[in-house]
Amino acid sequence: MYQYDAFDHAFVRDRNAEFADQVARRLSGEITEDQFKPLRLMNGLYLQLHAYMLRIAVPYGVLSSKQVRKLAHIARTYDRDFGHFTTRQNLQFNWIKLADAPKILEELAEVEMHALQTSGNCIRNTTTDQFAGAAKDEHEDPRPWAELIRQWSSNHPEFTFLPRKFKIAITGADRDRAAVRVHDIGLHARPEGFDVYVGGGLGRTPSLGHRIKTGLKGENLLSYLEAALRVYNRYGRRDNIYKARIKILVAALGPDEYARQVEAEWATLDKSRIDAPVVEIDRIRSFFPAPAWKTGFDAAAFERAKTADPGFARWLRNNTLAHRQDNHLSVTVSLKPVGAPPGDASSAQMDLLADVADAYAYGELRVSHEQNIILPHVAKDDLYALYSRLDAAGLGTANGGKITDMIACPGLDYCSLANARSIPLAQDISRRFEDAQLTDKIGDLSIKISGCINACGHHHVGHIGILGVDKQGVEFYQILLGGRADENAALGVITGKGLSAEAVPDAIERVVQLYLNLRKDESERFIDALERLGREAFAEALHEPA
Amino acid sequence: MKLLTANRLSDGLTIWYTPSGWVEDAAHAARLDDAAAEALQKTWAARETEVVGAYLIPLKDDGAPVQREHVREFVRANGPTIGATADALARRFQRADIFKD
Repeated sequence: MYQYDAFDHAFVRDRNAEFADQVARRLSGEITEDQFKPLRLMNGLYLQLHAYMLRIAVPYGVLSSKQVRKLAHIARTYDRDFGHFTTRQNLQFNWIKLADAPKILEELAEVEMHALQTSGNCIRNTTTDQFAGAAKDEHEDPRPWAELIRQWSSNHPEFTFLPRKFKIAITGADRDRAAVRVHDIGLHARPEGFDVYVGGGLGRTPSLGHRIKTGLKGENLLSYLEAALRVYNRYGRRDNIYKARIKILVAALGPDEYARQVEAEWATLDKSRIDAPVVEIDRIRSFFPAPAWKTGFDAAAFERAKTADPGFARWLRNNTLAHRQDNHLSVTVSLKPVGAPPGDASSAQMDLLADVADAYAYGELRVSHEQNIILPHVAKDDLYALYSRLDAAGLGTANGGKITDMIACPGLDYCSLANARSIPLAQDISRRFEDAQLTDKIGDLSIKISGCINACGHHHVGHIGILGVDKQGVEFYQILLGGRADENAALGVITGKGLSAEAVPDAIERVVQLYLNLRKDESERFIDALERLGREAFAEALHEPA
Repeated sequence: MKLLTANRLSDGLTIWYTPSGWVEDAAHAARLDDAAAEALQKTWAARETEVVGAYLIPLKDDGAPVQREHVREFVRANGPTIGATADALARRFQRADIFKD
C-alpha cells in the first residue's frame, strides 16, 4: 500500500499541530463554538446526539494490519471499545472527548492515517472496489488512481470550499462494486481509458450519473477532473444547500451542455501543470505490488474440510470471491452477525482481524461500502484455518450478499441529522431471517436502511430500500423496491404509505415469500424477478397481509 | 414545563440541568417553569467553555416532549437503543418515565 513520504508526514503533522492549537483555544474560551465548528469539521470531528464523533479516513478502503491494531487501540483507550465502519469505507468513533482528539490524531499519524476531509464541502475520501488488485474480473487496479486523486485533492486550494461536498468513486472491474453511478463523479476504468460519469448521488434528489466521457487516458485524469470540478465550483448553487450538489447543476444544464462546458474548460487548462507525469503515476503504482503469492494448493484437503464442516462450505459459497490467482480467494468477513449493529467491530475483533490478516492475508485488509471487512488475498490452503479463527471469534457469519448482510446508517441512535432509528430495525430484520437455510434459499438480496433523506444507508439503491421518516414525533419507514448499485444501477421507487418499525419485518417477509413463490428457479435472483414481474406486484405484498 | 439540555464541551456528552449542576442522567433533570427555563437557557448559551448547544425541551401534560422530534429526545435521554428490539423500545417509550412530572 501507499507509504507516506516526507511531504505527507509533514503535511499531516502540521495539520494536527494546527488543530491541537484550535482545540486548546476552544477549551480556554479564546474562540467560540461558531468559530470552532468549521475547524473541527475540517478535522472530521462532529458533535452528534450523545457525544463527539470522529470520522477517520480510510483512503479508498485500504488498511494494513498495523493500522487496524491502532484503530483497536484507539477504540479501547479513547472510546467505548468499538468502532463503526461506514458506507464510505471510513471508520467512526462515537464517544470521543474533545480534549482527546489531538492525541488521537497524533496516534493516527503514527500509522499514516488522519481524519482530514472527512467532512466539509471538499473532495472527500475516494472510494473504490473493495476487491481492487485481487478480483478476477478486474482489468485495471483502481488503487493507484485513487491515491493519485487523494494527493491531488488533499488541501486543493480551489476545491476546499465547494458549493457542497464532493464524492468520487472508481472501479476497474467488469462488475461495478463501487457504485460509481451514484457518486458525484464515477470513474470506470476500461481497457481503452476511463468512462466518466457525473451527477450521480442519493440524498434528497437521487440521481444516476450521466456518462459524459469515454476513453479518458489516465495521464489526463487530473486535468479532466479539475475541469469538471471547476465548472461545478463556478456554477453550482451556493444559495440553497438542497440544490448545491453537482447533480442539480448537471440536471439544470443537461448532461450534454455540462460536458461541453467541461471540454471547453479542459481545453484552456495547462495540462502539463496539472496532470501527473507518467513517471509519477508509475511511482504511485509501485506502492501497490502484488504480494509474493503462496504457491500450491492441496485440493484434496480442501474438499475434506468442506465435507467435514458444512459451516465452512457455506461460508466459502457466500463469503468468497474468485481471485486473479487461481490458488487464492478474496474473503468477506461479515460484520453483520445475526442481531448485531451492521458495521460495528469491537477492539478485540479488530485485533483479531489484524492477526488473521498477518497470518493468512499478507497483512492487507479492506473496508467495503457494504460495511464489511475484506481480506483481499487468501491462499486456498489457508481458508479453513482462517474460517476457524474467525468463527470462534463470532466473525464467521456466512451471509455475504444475503438478506441479513444489510447496510444501515447510524440513524437516530447516534446521528443528529436522523429522523428515525436504523440499527434497531436492521437488528429486527436480521433476527427475522436468522435461519441460515432460509437465507441461502432466498439468495442474493440487498436491504439498505437510512434514518433520513440524506441516504447514508444508500436506501435508493437497495433491492429493498428502507427510509426512516418522522411523522409528528413517531418513526415511520417508507419502503422502496428495485434499486441496485451495480453496473446496471437503478433507483428504487417508494411503494405506498410508511410502515411502523414493528410492521417492517413482516412486510419484508411477505415480499420475500412472494418472490420465492414467483421466481422461475433458484438462479433467478430477487432483483431479477422484481424487474421481470414489476414492482407493483411486490408493492401489494408489502402493504397487504397475504 | 421544560427541561434544559446541552452537550458538555469537554467530552460532548449529553447533560441535563439541575439546580445543583449539570448531570448525565436525564431522570434527574429539573422540571423548570417556562420563564425560569428561558432565562437559564440564555445564561448557559453564553457559558460556552462549559456547555454547547443548550436548548429547551417543552413537555406536554403527560410529560412527553412536544417537539416533532420527540423520538430524538427520548433517544437523547436514554442513550443509543442498540440491542433493544423496536417492540421493546416502543413499550419503553410509552412509559415515558424520564419526561414525567
